[in-house]
Amino acid sequence: MAQRILEVNNLEYSFDTYAGQVQAVRRVTFHVNAGETLAIVGKSGCGKTVSVQAILKLLPEPPGRMVGGSIRYLGEEISQYNPKKMSRLRGKEMSIIFQDPMTSLNPTMRIGKQIIEGIRKHERISRREGRARAVEMLGKVGIPSPERNMNRYPHQFSGGMRQRVMIAMALACKPRILFADEPTTALDVTTQAQILELMHELKQELNASVVIITHDLSVVARVSQRIAVMYAGKIVETGDVRDIFYNPRHPYTWGLLQSVPHREGDRRQELTAIPGTPPDLFHPPAGCGFAFRCRYCMGACTQAEPPQTDLGNGHLVSCWLLDERAPKTETPQLAQRKGVREHG
Amino acid sequence: MAEKLIEVKSLRKYFRVGHSQVLHAVEDVSFTIEKGKTLGMVGESGCGKTTVGRTLLRLYDADGGQALFDGEDVHRIPRNRQKGLSRRMQMVFQDPYASLDPRKTVGAIVGEGLKIHRLCKTKAEYDAKVFELLEMVGLNREHASRFPHEFSGGQRQRVGIARALSVGPEFIVCDEAISALDVSIQAQVINLLMRLQKQLGLTYLFIAHDLSMVRHVADDVAVMYLGTLVETAPADTLFEHPMHPYTVGLLAAAPEPDPDYEQGRKANLLTGEVPSAINPKPGCRFCPRCPYATDECRAAMPPLAEVELGHRVACYHPVGQPSPVAG
Repeated sequence: MAQRILEVNNLEYSFDTYAGQVQAVRRVTFHVNAGETLAIVGKSGCGKTVSVQAILKLLPEPPGRMVGGSIRYLGEEISQYNPKKMSRLRGKEMSIIFQDPMTSLNPTMRIGKQIIEGIRKHERISRREGRARAVEMLGKVGIPSPERNMNRYPHQFSGGMRQRVMIAMALACKPRILFADEPTTALDVTTQAQILELMHELKQELNASVVIITHDLSVVARVSQRIAVMYAGKIVETGDVRDIFYNPRHPYTWGLLQSVPHREGDRRQELTAIPGTPPDLFHPPAGCGFAFRCRYCMGACTQAEPPQTDLGNGHLVSCWLLDERAPKTETPQLAQRKGVREHG
Repeated sequence: MAEKLIEVKSLRKYFRVGHSQVLHAVEDVSFTIEKGKTLGMVGESGCGKTTVGRTLLRLYDADGGQALFDGEDVHRIPRNRQKGLSRRMQMVFQDPYASLDPRKTVGAIVGEGLKIHRLCKTKAEYDAKVFELLEMVGLNREHASRFPHEFSGGQRQRVGIARALSVGPEFIVCDEAISALDVSIQAQVINLLMRLQKQLGLTYLFIAHDLSMVRHVADDVAVMYLGTLVETAPADTLFEHPMHPYTVGLLAAAPEPDPDYEQGRKANLLTGEVPSAINPKPGCRFCPRCPYATDECRAAMPPLAEVELGHRVACYHPVGQPSPVAG
């Protein structure tokens, strides 16, 4: 059994606004094993970014507030850490890269200095050693002539190169967990492929775990071992990547998988779109958050929260359809697994 | 032979950037779109896809070549007939947040074209038309009095589509119309666009970088690289038998929503980055990243040559064979 390096239990996180309390994350439970890639999937506003930023305490408080739950890193409860203790953890033990590398780098500072600053914050090394480390990291992430590029500013790099700089910075102190919040959404497919490959190589080299947040199921299929599907502040289904793709049991997961066109799917046919919009998180519904958009909605769905059903192999689903009293439903036709094929 | 609605011949568009520097945004691009069909245009950002779309609608003036719409050169039409033309060609923009006037109600945004082109005689007719347009794209008539900020991204994109449709166009340029949206919303908007095409017989230029979506909607696909058209073919041919090394690399880079397939295959990556289009060197633009590049490629730009019916490739050393069944 792999070591669980991060365990999040019943995390609840809300924002206090003038209009009321937004319950962005509602009792989310997941864990990260050593050396694996966990993907958190869901559409914008479902709470995936908030969950991760709450773990790292990156959200301004107030308005943010952790309402309940626990976050354990290597068995130690970190949710009550003070800012000073937290900042020792962040960047050293866990780091994060963001979607938009332009806004997450300091535009007025040379990138070399930004990387060195990060390293020297956590390790007592001389400026010269720090510089050598930064050059080494830039070389590792595939920045050409790293020595010279240390002295350039973020705006002098392309989007893909900036994301490489971000990765160099995030991995400079060899963290145990790398959180990647939509790391390739702003990039072109060819650059995306390069960045994903780079993240994979570095992850192997450092034996780190990666938590990738994305809405792109194709990216998930490429990089992750486990998946957590989020909807309206909750994890509705989680499991091994193959279980989720080939044997999904939650209607929302079905909807997600059906809404992307497949390589061998019927062209020019209607894609299956999920009708409606997600619920209002000011007043989350009493029952299942997805009930109002669900084709299989039953009486119980709108009244009580569905219990979590364990299907083995860590495949957990929260849906009333799996209750023994529920009528039998056919899993809709999803794309068939195609297996490994020769390519190009 | 179906009727050609759009015919682009050796289109060029340059931008002056600073002293004696010229950005060759579109270089010698030619293609045609038949009536009622969809041409998908793909390529990395900065490859000139959007510029082609905009030049085609005369949002930019061309620096060379022709863009024929229904046999007439868009750039030669006198300004007084320009308005009539813009009624027939419309655009849906990428960013549903930036492309709607925040100070206008949705009704006013959708109805603006109706007023400009004097398409309605009475107020009642105008109101009815605006409501009809909103309902056509899946919004309610109550939405007409609301402002853009009250809508989600998908709904705003619907407003953008309603605005484009208001003047009854024949041709619509969808410039990354779905890129800014969530997956499930993308599917909704794509379904809408395809339904409207069937209903109204529209012709689309569908610009996107999402290859799987392009494959889903397009009849033909054109691949651009750094201002040049490197390959065009019917969608199935292009995706099954790509022949330009760049197309091959682009297709290999796109992940599929299938873990067994994805995690089983070798990463087959294009290395390097897209070079700058400012004062480019002669020769094939893809040379620096191409594994098959030779001196011939560096000397002169390869012409777009037809290798089989409807499949054109601009490469001296195309990869693979043309598909066995031509056409």
